[in-house]
Amino acid sequence: MIKNYFKTAFRNLWKNKSYGFLNVFGLAIGIACAAFIFLWVEDEMSYNHQNVKRDQLYKILENQPYEGKTYTFSATPGLLAKGMKDEIPGIKNACRMTWEQYTLFNLGEKSIYERGVYVDSSIFDMLTLPLVAGNKENAFKQLHSLVISEKMAAKFFGERDVLGKTLKVDNKEEYVITGVFKDIPQNSSIKFEWLSPFKIYNDRNGWLNEWGNNGIQTLVELEKATDPATVNKKLYSYLQSKDTTIVARPFLFGMNEWRLYSKFEEGKQTGGRIQYVRMFSTIAWIILFIACINFMNLATARSEKRAREVGVRKVLGAGKKILVAQFIGEAMILAFLSLFIAVGIISLVLPAFNTLVEKQLSIGFNNPLHILSLLAIGLLCGLVAGSYPALYLSSFNPISVFKGLKLKGSGASLIRKGLVVVQFGLSIFFIIGTIIVYNQIQHIKNRDLGYNKDNVIQTGLRGNMKDNFGVIKQQLLSSGFVENAAMSNLNQLYMGSSTGGYDWEGKDPSKKVLVTQDFISPEYIKTMGIQLTKGRDFYTDPKQDSLNVIINETFAKIIGKKDIVGTLLRNDSTNYTVVGVVKDFVFGDMYAKSDPLIFRCWPDYFGYMYVKLKPQANVERAVDKIKTTITSNNPGFPFDYIFVDDEFDKQFKSEVLIGKLSRIFALLAIVITCLGLFGLSAYTAERRTKEIGIRKVLGASVTGITSLLSKEFLILVLIAAVLAFPFAWWIMHGWLQDFAYRITISWWIFISAAVLAMFIALFTISFQAIKAALANPVKSLRTE
Amino acid sequence: MIKIANLEKTYRTEEVETVALNKLSFEIKEGEFVAVMGPSGCGKSTLLNIVGLLDDPDEGSYQFNGIEVAKFNERKRADLRKRNIGFVFQSFNLIDELTVFENVELPLIYTGVKGADRKKRVEEVLDKMQIMHRRNHYPQQLSGGQQQRVAVARAVVNKPKLILADEPTGNLDSHNGSEVMQMLTDLNEQGTTIIMVTHSEHDARFSHRIIRMLDGQTVTENILV
Repeated sequence: MIKNYFKTAFRNLWKNKSYGFLNVFGLAIGIACAAFIFLWVEDEMSYNHQNVKRDQLYKILENQPYEGKTYTFSATPGLLAKGMKDEIPGIKNACRMTWEQYTLFNLGEKSIYERGVYVDSSIFDMLTLPLVAGNKENAFKQLHSLVISEKMAAKFFGERDVLGKTLKVDNKEEYVITGVFKDIPQNSSIKFEWLSPFKIYNDRNGWLNEWGNNGIQTLVELEKATDPATVNKKLYSYLQSKDTTIVARPFLFGMNEWRLYSKFEEGKQTGGRIQYVRMFSTIAWIILFIACINFMNLATARSEKRAREVGVRKVLGAGKKILVAQFIGEAMILAFLSLFIAVGIISLVLPAFNTLVEKQLSIGFNNPLHILSLLAIGLLCGLVAGSYPALYLSSFNPISVFKGLKLKGSGASLIRKGLVVVQFGLSIFFIIGTIIVYNQIQHIKNRDLGYNKDNVIQTGLRGNMKDNFGVIKQQLLSSGFVENAAMSNLNQLYMGSSTGGYDWEGKDPSKKVLVTQDFISPEYIKTMGIQLTKGRDFYTDPKQDSLNVIINETFAKIIGKKDIVGTLLRNDSTNYTVVGVVKDFVFGDMYAKSDPLIFRCWPDYFGYMYVKLKPQANVERAVDKIKTTITSNNPGFPFDYIFVDDEFDKQFKSEVLIGKLSRIFALLAIVITCLGLFGLSAYTAERRTKEIGIRKVLGASVTGITSLLSKEFLILVLIAAVLAFPFAWWIMHGWLQDFAYRITISWWIFISAAVLAMFIALFTISFQAIKAALANPVKSLRTE
Repeated sequence: MIKIANLEKTYRTEEVETVALNKLSFEIKEGEFVAVMGPSGCGKSTLLNIVGLLDDPDEGSYQFNGIEVAKFNERKRADLRKRNIGFVFQSFNLIDELTVFENVELPLIYTGVKGADRKKRVEEVLDKMQIMHRRNHYPQQLSGGQQQRVAVARAVVNKPKLILADEPTGNLDSHNGSEVMQMLTDLNEQGTTIIMVTHSEHDARFSHRIIRMLDGQTVTENILV
């Protein structure tokens, strides 16, 4: 019997090639699309899975309440790791780790910057970090040890057998390579090319021995039997037991949540990338569903053609169940054919998709999960797409079929129309979503940042750059390319250092205000184009302003004094005088309003140099000049730089990607919908051949008939638009709430989406409508 | 074999009520060849559908081989039908996507006959109907007469006790028509009961008895043999 089904299915498909093509191709695109999304989702969900102990590994985060708000940070005191391990039961391992360092390594002529971290040797027991050379016991036995990745080993030495060899760090000390680890997979939250003992960093930074100073990361591994809640309970007031002035409340943040659940608001976990994972998973299912709808619609639309077959089979003894099985079987065959083509599409397009999402995804046929998932998708599509047509077709009454009575089609045609409405509704929703996402990203990118990010080069201060800054600056200014140059402690875009230690007269002593604090050179405000609204800029001689500060408007507002200039701020029993106020500018969270900020003129902590090019300067030649100027004054350190505006654009990588993906998926949803509509309009035209013939004989024009046939579908698109509008508004309004700085949703977006959908639908239908309208009426009447 | 008593069937649409069968009663014995005649709309086809277990009556009794089947549900009707009744239609009703062989094989598939046995039986019947040479052709490649022969082959392949023929020669020329009638007569002579709806007096003469219907009732019964 199965053989008989196969035969009928294939011969039917062969006989109706265009119908088969529309179905199979539409479904193949849908499956390929869904597969891409699922591959992406799988990659996101499998972050950090290389770590065998990931269920026991945690990072320590801190909730810090300031001014009625709670901020969550991952910076912790240097003393926390050891303290926890010694005093809190259930902790198997603890480890201190710096933020990612971008350090210069030299070997002969080779000078390359590599990223890495200073870390405790316990890291080798915690993370799964297989060593291909050396062993973890001896890795950090000597102070200047270096454990590097295979990739880094290959870069410097061209081989893996590098134990005992040395690399010079920052043109200073020689470090001995004591181990080589396997390259860290791309889907890992912690990435580094080298590891070095934390003691080196610790010896250079005395503040690490204060409980109130948060400056490094702390990782812990719990004993298997330990309940994290018990540890959290102990951790809650742990810092207060060391220093009563501390407000921070540390807690465990499990490795399994690092990638997807990293968003905290008011100290509570509120999601993160998981929202995108959920969103795209939903989109994948929707696209599959749209493709399945095509199948259902085309199958039921052409039901009249198969009615006789159903009638005959019933007369010959086929029961309803048998027929349902037959039609679902046919749908399965089509679904698996689509699956087969989809795999081809995936293989072809995957490299481009990988470039787009910056991942290394692969179909992975050796992964049973992938095979099973593909099979499951095929089965599901067959079942979803085949179920309704099967029930519908198998319900035909042979008597009516043989009598040539009109089939009880009104129900089916209503459902078909409903499904077209669903398809277009979803497509219109996608169009609206895409426009809003795009506008929001542009809105943020184009927002007035409060400073001028264009033509500004940022470079890390290396070697003697800080000491030679005066000379470098003079030479740059006299080059004719450069407008100004300055130094600062923090990266202008992120400004990731803050303190709650400032007090002033009139401040509620029970409240602490978290203030971002940056140390800058006197040229900084001018160089970055930050606007001074009150008072004065720093004097050119930093010494004159060592006890003076400039604050931003937000901080001034919090202090709340009318004459803010001259106000005294106290920190660590030193008084600082506010000499100026700058207009708020955007830093850190690109979507939010400015946080309170304080600038101090203090050269000790400078980490970056900023060079502002003249507007008319030739960028290439200017960069060249800056490079030669800096390297001649700071030999041995290769010049590496970024443009601030490029770095700014990188802030929106996720959003830009989401924007691009949503555009692609919206387009595909529409393409699939139109494939279905194309087929459906063909069947409608065919069904109405007689009517069209009669109308033409009676004098109807081609335009009249074309619009008659198109109207039927355009009404459906219009209904779809009306239904999609509130839904789209609701979803996109919710999405925008995540951004403090956001667009308002304007009505034209909805109208444009609807008009676009109508236009696309009209274009699709017009082929069939015009063809039917141009046909010879005599011929069409004869066919009836 | 067939005993019908006071059979009633009314078709209703929103505005019109059409009485198709009106307290119809008759009996057909095993081995009989009965022709049902009457003007269009007299209820012939409705009668054939009910006798063929494709439709159920509103009222009345229908006994098939002594079993009351008037109130059988769809599943039971299908089961009884596929084992006992063969159909021949005016428009042949072959499945276009299946070859001659596959069309004839279909009833055997639905009654669960094993593959090898099926092949034997289909070939036997095709041979008998003299269309073996066309076994791999599709219906649209055959003439009307050949298509009806395939349809008859399909109707008899399961060796039914009863064959219902609805204007079996309606779409055929006289030569092919006569051939089909001869085939039915042969089948009847071999013991198959046949009920045939027809407009053709010529065809009706092949039967043993003619039931004439008007407005859902029998008006006369002519015994020919």
